[in-house]
Amino acid sequence: MQEDYLAKWLNNELTEAELSEFKKSDAYATYQKIRATTATMQAPDFDTNQAWEELKVQRMQAESKILTLSPFKSFLKVAAVVAVVLGGAYFYLNSLNEAVATQYAETKEIILPDTSEILLNAESQVSYDEKDWNNKRNISLQGEAFFNVAKGNSFTVTTDQGTVTVLGTQFNVENRDGFFEVTCFEGLVSVLYDGKENKLTAGNAIIVVNGKLSKASAVKNGQPSWMQNESSFKSIPLNYVLAEFQRQHNITVDSKGVDTNVLFTGSFSNTDTDLALKSISVPLQIKFTLEGNNVLFYEKNAP
Amino acid sequence: MKITTVHPSQESNVCQESVYNGIFKDTSKTIFNYIYYKFGNEEKAHDAVQEAFIKLWENCAKVPPKKAKSFLYTVANNLYLNVLKAEKIRLKYADKSLKNTNENPEFIMEEKQFQEKLDAALESLPENQRVTFLMNRIDGLKYTEIAELEGVSIKAIEKRMHLALKSLRKKIDGI
Repeated sequence: MQEDYLAKWLNNELTEAELSEFKKSDAYATYQKIRATTATMQAPDFDTNQAWEELKVQRMQAESKILTLSPFKSFLKVAAVVAVVLGGAYFYLNSLNEAVATQYAETKEIILPDTSEILLNAESQVSYDEKDWNNKRNISLQGEAFFNVAKGNSFTVTTDQGTVTVLGTQFNVENRDGFFEVTCFEGLVSVLYDGKENKLTAGNAIIVVNGKLSKASAVKNGQPSWMQNESSFKSIPLNYVLAEFQRQHNITVDSKGVDTNVLFTGSFSNTDTDLALKSISVPLQIKFTLEGNNVLFYEKNAP
Repeated sequence: MKITTVHPSQESNVCQESVYNGIFKDTSKTIFNYIYYKFGNEEKAHDAVQEAFIKLWENCAKVPPKKAKSFLYTVANNLYLNVLKAEKIRLKYADKSLKNTNENPEFIMEEKQFQEKLDAALESLPENQRVTFLMNRIDGLKYTEIAELEGVSIKAIEKRMHLALKSLRKKIDGI
């Protein structure tokens, strides 16, 4: 007898010999009865037409879900996200201070709510609270700016190196990497540096280079030189001079070929690049080559 | 020489109402029975048919008409996977006693007893054997068709049929 012969028997696939052998077996009668009875069996009633009508209704519900509900749902999702972002941005921007920044080779003039003026030198940034200005005259500064302060409450310039407080005056603050300079042109300025207070009267300046504080003088009732499109220096290490040159002319400086610790006294034009390069190189007896937006400084006797 | 070109029915698409309705008429009853043989619950079998055809409609663009049948079985099958416990399966028997009223009461009695034994035996079969056996015996599906639906070989279906018959007989004969 072959494998699964009962399945073959139901399918009438048994050979004559197999069939007659199977018929002789005791179990055959029951198998035959099962076969006959199951042939008359029926599954529960299933009304295809009625089921089809039900399906039509369900499909309509499913379609209406797809066509109207879900676009509205996704619209709501998008709307919710937009509302959250806008709301968040509104509160965030509201809490932010007013900020003004300049790029390389750019200066900007800012008039504060109390008519105090700020002149912002190249690559610098100030920020202040515009709404609460009359109560809190506080400016934070990165870079360099000239201040002409209207009389009133104390006026504070906060930098990461030191804090400058005045009552009503004209002064310049330069806060660059490793370099901090405050020059007073009119009135009295108090400079808090490293926990110590330094009072500057008109025509005086303090310069901090790499943590070393020194005093300098300036012209009374004058203006910082950069406001006349010139950058002036008195015994300042060359690297700060070149950094200022880079800011004013938007030209990348390569100074690996020269000693940048050498002190420079003089000034250069903030408008005429060629003249400025000569103003720097001639007194120091170094040479330069200008190629596009790059300038290379090197020693005269270098190969 | 005669050349006949055969146009594949590439235009027929399940999204077409006529095609969709045709598939429903051909398969809905079998799907209903299939789920019923599995779980013995008419209501759930009804729901499974509806659910499977809704899914087919939603995916009508993706399912080619030839694959529709196995798609429907897969959806219906997965619907109650591991969720539903098999209930009592009640099948109907053609009532012979009505056709032949001269039948002696003893014979009718014996018939009834046999049917009860058969019902109990069917219920005690493993699910896959019962479904395969009833699909063949009641719905008249060929072994190849069942093999395709269940995704197994014909050999496996023959084995199930053989084992199902064997254990039904043992149960009925009380061996």
